[in-house]
Amino acid sequence: MAQRSNEQWLDDLTREDDPLRQSEALADLTRRLQRGIFYYLSRERSDMTSRSYGELEQMAEDFAQEATLRVLKNLHSFRGDSLFTTWATKVAVRVAISELRRARYKDFSLEALTGDGEVMPDLSDSFGTERPVGPERSAEQQDVIGKIEQAIQEALTERQRAALVAVGLQGVPLEVVAERMDTNRNALYKLLHDARSKLKATLEHDGISMEYVLKLFERS
Amino acid sequence: MESISLEKLLGIAGAIFSVHEDELDCEGCDAEMPHLAEIIEAGEDPKKLLPAVVAHLEICHDCREEFEALLAVIRAEHSGAVLDAAHGAE
Repeated sequence: MAQRSNEQWLDDLTREDDPLRQSEALADLTRRLQRGIFYYLSRERSDMTSRSYGELEQMAEDFAQEATLRVLKNLHSFRGDSLFTTWATKVAVRVAISELRRARYKDFSLEALTGDGEVMPDLSDSFGTERPVGPERSAEQQDVIGKIEQAIQEALTERQRAALVAVGLQGVPLEVVAERMDTNRNALYKLLHDARSKLKATLEHDGISMEYVLKLFERS
Repeated sequence: MESISLEKLLGIAGAIFSVHEDELDCEGCDAEMPHLAEIIEAGEDPKKLLPAVVAHLEICHDCREEFEALLAVIRAEHSGAVLDAAHGAE
């Protein structure tokens, strides 16, 4: 595989007047991305251990093809503050992880999470078995949890609350929740940012700070 | 609904209290990831050079997962582990 500078990659990939050179660069890029993705799937993903090498190779090939198309489409956004191949690998990694998330959460329903009107997991049982504490401290912990629950229920819009519970408490990827909410990941991050700001203001108004929470729940 | 862990409760409290007016969003973080990966690989201090990106990665699980994957692949490329994995599959 030819070693190229950033300028050479950009030049070769866009050389429509030299189809041979362009197709060699495309093949090199796809091969490189495919190897990187195969490494990631086979060595870094514990949830892929049951897959055969053949399956992983096929997945890596599919993801690398898609990543190559995305790289070509977004060449204008390469800023040149890293190696071109690092940037292209970032694109490929995102393609692979997005597809894996989609597959993992294909049956996830935001309606199922919020449909019964009870979106909050039971925070009051969240630590009882992890660390026994005295009755006074336990009451204080319950009080703080109650205030956090109340703030989530009262200070947020329904949309903010559903997103916070799904992402923050249930651990569902932003990307998956954004899709279900007919928005994009960046807009969802901003929605959650606003939700966090509201909750911070509400809790601080109630005299609760992060230092206080950490001290109250610290493990001994 | 099922209860959540203390770790998650503290995680969400951390996310609430660490909120900043001028936080980097996911698009901004995505654009900085290649640079950040190379900074870390060069042994430089990411908190000093790209503090907003590091702060976003501490809050955003999606971006953190993608960044950790990028770093792992780049390190494996440098060490030869990517080629070893490819040859192992052949």
